[in-house]
Amino acid sequence: MSIREELLEIVGKGNYSDDVAVLETYSKDFSLVPAGMPNYVVKPAGAEEVSRIITLANEKLMPVVPVSSGAHFNGAAIPRQGGIILDLSRMNKILEVDGLNRRVRVEAGVTWEQLTRELGKNGFRMIMPLLPHPRRSVVTDYLEREIPTNTVYDYGEPLQSMEVVWPTGEIFRMGSASVTGYPDSPSKGGNPSGPGIDFYRFLQGAQGTMGVVTWANLKIEYKPKMDKVLFAPVNNLSYAIDFLYRVLKQRIGQECLILNNIDLAAIIASDAPGDIDRLRAVLPPWTLIMVISGMQRRPEEKIQYEEEFLGNVLRNEYTEISLTDSLPGVPGLGKKMLSLLREPWPAGATYWKDRYRGACQSLFFISRPVMAPWFIDRMTEVAVGYDYPASDIGVYLQPIEHNRACRLEFNLFYEPDSDMEVIRGLYREAARVLLDEGALFTQPYGELAAMVYERAGGYTAALKRVKKVFDPNNIMNPGNLCF
Amino acid sequence: MAISKEAYCVLESVVGTGYITNDPVLCEGYRSGPGGYESSTGYEKVMTRIPGCVIMPRTTEEVQKIVRVCIRYKIPYVPYSTGFYGPRSHPHVEDALLIDMKRMDDFEIDEKHLYAVVGTGVIYSQLQQEALDRGCYVVVGGGGAQASVVANLIGDGWSPLSHRIGLPHRRILGTELVLPDGELVRMGSLALQDDPFWGDGIGPDLRGLLRGFTGHRGFLGIVTKMAVKLLPFQPEKLEPTGISPQTTLQLPEKRVKWINFTMPDKDSMAKAMFEMSKAEIGGAVTKVPVFWRAIAKAGSKEEFWELWSKENEESIRNFHLLRVLLIGFASEAQMEYEERVLTDIITELGGEARRTRPTDESWIKNADSAGMWLMCGGYVSVDYVIETLEHAIPHGVNYAALKKNFTPPLMPDYGDPGWFQSFELGHQGYSEFLVYWDPGENTDGVDHFYLETSKENIRKRFYTSLLGAHQPIYLTGPAYGPNYHKWLLAIKDEFDPGYICHPPVPLAHDHFVQRAEWMKPMKDWESPDFTSRP
Repeated sequence: MSIREELLEIVGKGNYSDDVAVLETYSKDFSLVPAGMPNYVVKPAGAEEVSRIITLANEKLMPVVPVSSGAHFNGAAIPRQGGIILDLSRMNKILEVDGLNRRVRVEAGVTWEQLTRELGKNGFRMIMPLLPHPRRSVVTDYLEREIPTNTVYDYGEPLQSMEVVWPTGEIFRMGSASVTGYPDSPSKGGNPSGPGIDFYRFLQGAQGTMGVVTWANLKIEYKPKMDKVLFAPVNNLSYAIDFLYRVLKQRIGQECLILNNIDLAAIIASDAPGDIDRLRAVLPPWTLIMVISGMQRRPEEKIQYEEEFLGNVLRNEYTEISLTDSLPGVPGLGKKMLSLLREPWPAGATYWKDRYRGACQSLFFISRPVMAPWFIDRMTEVAVGYDYPASDIGVYLQPIEHNRACRLEFNLFYEPDSDMEVIRGLYREAARVLLDEGALFTQPYGELAAMVYERAGGYTAALKRVKKVFDPNNIMNPGNLCF
Repeated sequence: MAISKEAYCVLESVVGTGYITNDPVLCEGYRSGPGGYESSTGYEKVMTRIPGCVIMPRTTEEVQKIVRVCIRYKIPYVPYSTGFYGPRSHPHVEDALLIDMKRMDDFEIDEKHLYAVVGTGVIYSQLQQEALDRGCYVVVGGGGAQASVVANLIGDGWSPLSHRIGLPHRRILGTELVLPDGELVRMGSLALQDDPFWGDGIGPDLRGLLRGFTGHRGFLGIVTKMAVKLLPFQPEKLEPTGISPQTTLQLPEKRVKWINFTMPDKDSMAKAMFEMSKAEIGGAVTKVPVFWRAIAKAGSKEEFWELWSKENEESIRNFHLLRVLLIGFASEAQMEYEERVLTDIITELGGEARRTRPTDESWIKNADSAGMWLMCGGYVSVDYVIETLEHAIPHGVNYAALKKNFTPPLMPDYGDPGWFQSFELGHQGYSEFLVYWDPGENTDGVDHFYLETSKENIRKRFYTSLLGAHQPIYLTGPAYGPNYHKWLLAIKDEFDPGYICHPPVPLAHDHFVQRAEWMKPMKDWESPDFTSRP
């Protein structure tokens, strides 16, 4: 049989395509990564079909690119060497909501929109990154280690056990889901670790190169009973960061982040793009946003001690910061911001990063918070060289784990029809400069991969050896990362 | 084959004359046991050997050189830090080189960014004290504060304080690993820079090689340096008091407080843990088993047995003591808030607070496991499972029933189902089941029970920590994953095809079952001829 016939047999006629128009939709995304045309698109219904497709791909030495989200921003799902697109959108079941153990088990195709809606009905929430696209896969975003806005939980990572189809086609369950017969077992899948080695780590940040995760167990949390959204207009970013070093170590607050005026305007503008420039002018250069919450018991009392603590620190140590429940110039923002922090971007609306100029390229990395102003200065210097106004760069600073680290994101807004080459050059040069200065790109998408891996020789060599064990024919998303 | 004179000289040139020896008297000091964890088991008797040579490197570069010499001269080697983990940390073949990491005790701390960088020779008591002095803390693993931080974090790393903090592998940041072929892998932010503050890999995360729930006892290389996440604590000093060995930490009660509660039954204890988790309060929580209390009260072995002999099945069945640690991280007001919430929960469940000393004797200070040997002389955790609380409780009950068939030689414990606690604010639950025996008696039954727990876990579909190097992988492999052993061995083959690094791990327990006559009747699973592996 031809590969076409075999794929048709596995997934059925309605879930297969080699139509050029369909293939083209998978050939590019919202990033600057060059397009790449696949040969086939298949939509498997479950792990068994995924396994058969991957087994076939090994026989034919055909690349396989897993695609679980409906929106892509970094080029990771573009088939650089052609091959089979494994579209996991049919695998979109929420398999379990386990309130007692605060766990949800979802297939890879479950989106943020779908999951937050379902959990909300039961009084639960995900600890989520800032405004994920509603059609992004929740499992993928966690596998790719998107950083949540919540900084208070000591245990961090929401990912628990998972099922994967290895690049050899074998189906494998990790962590405590590895028991025979799972989920028909006392073991619920609450532990990601083991068996034998920590396999789950190899799937993290892998951009689909190490296997296809078909479902995952994720932690969920109760929705707070009460919330107070606090804002602080900030002129001196270093001072605000210093304040965060002081308070986040005390486990105060739930969500906490800092946005510059253009990013915040792009998020909160009612009418975009028209309203964004007006808001930019009104907003302070930086806004610190912090949510303090009352949990399931005595919620008022929890908010009270957190407010008392904050009040003492502000009065006695950080007198230049005013943390209140309103932001000058933007009446009624508190309620709107809470919903923005706890839900994905609204379905059907232009994504927030595209509202200003029609397109956006993000450059983000991990750093120490104290270094953020310095990196912002470097970014500004590079932008000037490309005639890109520094004031147009969106900046988002996300504290991590009690502010012991942060994720710094630069958003380069641009008009897709005219500015793309400028942005491409700016992005490349900024990445090089920031990397030289110590920016830590743990998610090396697109062109970043080559830049990063050539500087990490020992790591790259070991990574290739692990990859060879699991994917001897290098069929999984070849051309990405260092493979 | 003994280490040749030529190889010895080359090794000596790496570290200097003072840091290598093949003196049998000194090598004898590295014998597994007595008094160690899992000591006096059949596994120890059959599988462990006195090293042929001991070497003490000072730097990562020296470790790399040593490993390369071992490859050149085909010398099996075993990384060794404090040796707490007993037989499984010791050489399993004749004339092995034991690489003692104690000299690698460099220590840096960055309190602002909440991490410490430790060499493999740094132990928990050093780290915890430095952390406390700076308003931070760490989880001192159940092995005790005498254990190497690095070894513990790649093999264990939990205690009742894990209620809030969670899994140990999340606290491993930038790390250096010397692979079995001597190549150096720098993980996390160390992959790109000299700053170890961040743990995630560049793309896929090679921290997956470091452990796997309970770790693999160094068969995939040697960790030489690790940045470890610290957790922010509270500012008041914990004052050491008492005269050794009766020492405690006096707690600042308005900021740190242990409270013991008598609960009506086991269900209410579990519910209390769920409710605390739901309310997001508490710094630690655990069920206290009766034998812990007896150990804590006893000043001698005789005193322990006097106390213990007063117990019976009914007293064990009706003993429901819950121990909770509250911490006012932010303020005294937080402490008061958490205590009010805790009181609500306990009252609703019919529990009652007991008078509790304002001191910490164990979990913050040193997780002192030395007392565990007090009762019989030999002990081991036959399982310690992180799963969910729903998993934890039946798991212990099941083991208690199984254990009756192996008592004696196991110490009679009146059906005690072990202990349990919450992890990661109730997202996970932990159960641990300890057994004790007299090393002077025939211990075949101990070995039988240890293996039978694996079969029981497979039959009942429980998860277990004792996979990989801790049980026969051809028994457990097909049942977990499935076939996790296939991948484990493939990784081993890729990085150490000659099995130079801690042979024959991860096949050591398979070898044990094959070599020990008394284990052979239990062998009812298929294995290929693994003895032909290098």
